[in-house]
Amino acid sequence: MLEIKDLHASVEGNEILKGISLSIKKGEIHAVMGPNGSGKSTLAKILSGHPSYEVTGGEILFEGKNLLDLEAEERSLAGIFMGFQYPVEVPGVNNAEFLRMAFNARRVKADEEEMDPLDFDELLSEKMKMLKMENKYKERSLNDGFSGGEKKKNEILQMAILEPKLAILDETDSGLDIDALRIVAEGVNSLRNDNNALILITHYQRLLDYIKPDFVHVIHQGKIVKSGDKALALELESQGYDWVTT
Amino acid sequence: MTDTLVESSAESAFLDLHKKLLEQGRSALAELQVTALSRFEELGFPHSKHEMYTFVNTKGLVATSFSLPDGSASVSEDFVASHIYPDCKDQCLVFIDGVFDRGLSRCEGVNSNLMPLSEADEEVKAYLSETAENENDVFASLSTAFCDEGLVFKVEANTQISGTVQILFVSTGNTAGSVMHTPRIVWQLGKLSEIKVIEKFVGTEGGYFINSVQDWLLAEGAGVSYTQVQMDSIGSWHFSKVRVYLNRNARFHSSNASSGNQLARHHYEVRLKEEGSEIRLNGVSVLDDKEQVHNFVRIHHEAPQCISHQHFKNIVNGHARSSFDGTVIVCQGAQLTSADQLVNNLMLSNDCHANNKPNLMIFADDVKCTHGVTVGQIDEGQWFYLQTRGLSAKAAKELLTRSFAKSIIETIEFPEVVEELNDTLLKKLEARND
Repeated sequence: MLEIKDLHASVEGNEILKGISLSIKKGEIHAVMGPNGSGKSTLAKILSGHPSYEVTGGEILFEGKNLLDLEAEERSLAGIFMGFQYPVEVPGVNNAEFLRMAFNARRVKADEEEMDPLDFDELLSEKMKMLKMENKYKERSLNDGFSGGEKKKNEILQMAILEPKLAILDETDSGLDIDALRIVAEGVNSLRNDNNALILITHYQRLLDYIKPDFVHVIHQGKIVKSGDKALALELESQGYDWVTT
Repeated sequence: MTDTLVESSAESAFLDLHKKLLEQGRSALAELQVTALSRFEELGFPHSKHEMYTFVNTKGLVATSFSLPDGSASVSEDFVASHIYPDCKDQCLVFIDGVFDRGLSRCEGVNSNLMPLSEADEEVKAYLSETAENENDVFASLSTAFCDEGLVFKVEANTQISGTVQILFVSTGNTAGSVMHTPRIVWQLGKLSEIKVIEKFVGTEGGYFINSVQDWLLAEGAGVSYTQVQMDSIGSWHFSKVRVYLNRNARFHSSNASSGNQLARHHYEVRLKEEGSEIRLNGVSVLDDKEQVHNFVRIHHEAPQCISHQHFKNIVNGHARSSFDGTVIVCQGAQLTSADQLVNNLMLSNDCHANNKPNLMIFADDVKCTHGVTVGQIDEGQWFYLQTRGLSAKAAKELLTRSFAKSIIETIEFPEVVEELNDTLLKKLEARND
C-alpha cells in the first residue's frame, strides 16, 4: 500500500530525515517510535503534504502512485488521513458541517451522491456514540476551546467518518488520560479491517497495549535504527531509547 | 494650503447649490435648513488631518460638482419589489432619491405612526434645531441643509409594532452628473414600545451621493432591533449618521452589513442618557477592488449601569480600504459601566488597507471597559488542516473567510437577511478567489 524509499527531507534548510525506507501492506499496523526530535513527526507531516517540509531525496508510493505529486487535499481524497499531534482550532467553522463537507468531498471524488444533512447527522451520532462524545460537539466550532483529550477524540471522529485506507496518527496518545486513551484506542481498533493500514507515531509504549502493532520501528536522527515486532516496544520501555541509539 | 483652496471652493459650490434650492421655493423645513447651512459653514469640509476624518479621504467627494435632484426619477415597481424582504412586503417604506414615496410604499399597517417631519411635535422640533446647531459632523449638517422634508415614525407608549418594518432607500444614479440625496427619519419611541426595522440601501446605477441622517429617540424601556444592509451601486458615495438617545432601560441592538462603494462612511453617535440602557453595535463589511467602508463610532456613557457592546469585522481584498475609529466615553458618575469594543480585520491581499483606532476615555473609577483590534490574514495552519481533510485550497479558504464573517452575520435576527448576505455579500469573494 505504502512504499517509502530512502526518504530525505529538510525544513528550513536543516536535514531532518536522512534516508527512511518503510513498506506497509494492507491490514498492517506499524508503530514508529523514537526520542523527541528524532524525525517522527516530520515523517507524518511529509506524508500529509505539509508545505513547510521539503523532500530532498527518495520517493513515496501510495498504491503505486507517486504521493509527492499530490497536494494535501488530493492525498486525503486518495484515502490518507493524518491525525494531528496538535489539532488546529478553527473558530467559526461548525464541527458537524465541516465533517459533512469533508465526507461529501470524498463522495464527490468517488462519483457518488452527496449525503443529505439528516442522513449524515445519523451517521455522525453513531460515530460519536462510539467515541463517547457528547452531542454538543456537533454544534461547537471545530476544535475551538476543546480540551486536549476532546481534540484527539475529534481527530478520531474525523477518521471514523472519512474511513481512510491509511491513517497516520501522530502522537494521538499524548496528553490523554488513561480513560480517554482507552476510548480512543477502542475507536481506532473498531475501524480496523484487512483493507486498511495504520501508522502510529508515539513516544510511549502505553498506546501499544491497546492498539497492537504488527511492526515497531525506532527512528533516531532521521533514520530507522531498529525494526521488530511488539517485543521491541516493550524492550524500549524497560531499557530506554539509549539502548538503540548508542 | 492647496487643501484649503480646494475645500473652500468645494464649500462655496455647495453654498451656491443651496441658493438654487431656495430659489425653487420655500421648504417646510426652511428654518432648519438655514441653521444647518450656517453650521455647515462653521464646520467646513474636513482637511486631511481632521480628527473625525483621519482615515477617510473626502477630497474626491467634495470636489465633485453636484446638482439638485430634478424629481424626474422613476423606479419600476419590479425593481422595488425585488428589494423588499418577504416578511416585510406589507410593511415597507420606500424612499426614492431620499424622498419618501407613499405610492411605492406599503404602509397601511403603520400609517398612523407616520408624519412629515415639518409637522412633528414641539419636542421633536426643539430636538432638531438643537442638534442642527450643535452638529459635529459636517456631512450631517449638509444633509440637513438640503433636506426638504423628512419623516417621523412614532411608536406610542406600550405599543409593539407587529412584524418587521423595512425601509428601502433607492437611489437612481444620474449619468449626466452627480446628485445628492438626503433622506431623514426621526424615530420616536414611547415608553416600553418596541420596533424591529430592516433598512436597505440600493442604487439603480452609480453617480449619486446618499447622505442620510437618522435619529432614534428611545423613551424609558423602549426596545429597537435595527439592521442595515448597505448595497449601493459601486460608483456612488454613501454617508450615514445614526444618532441614538437612550433613556432608562432602553435597548438598541443594531447590525450593519456593508458591501462598500467608492466611499461609504457610517457615523454612530450614541448617548446612554439614563441608567440601565444598552446599545449593541455590530458590523460586517466585505470589500473588494477599490471599495471602502469606514465606521466612526462615539458612545457616551452618561449614566451608571449602562452597557455598550461593539463588534466590527471587515474582510478586505483587492485595493479596498476599511477603517474603524471608535471611542467610548465614560462620563463622570457613570459607574458600573460595562463597555466592550472589538474590531477584527481579515486581509486577503497585499494592497488592501485597514486602519483602526479603538479608544476609551474613562472619567469614572468603577467600570469594566475593554477594547481590541486584530488585523490578520488567513491562518496557514487552519488552511492546511482543512486541506488535509479533503477540502480544496479554494474551498478551505472560502470556508475560513465565511466563518470569519459568520459570527456577525448570524447575530442578525432576520433569516431572509442572513440568507441574502450569504448569497450576495460573501459570494463577492468567491468570484475573486477563482
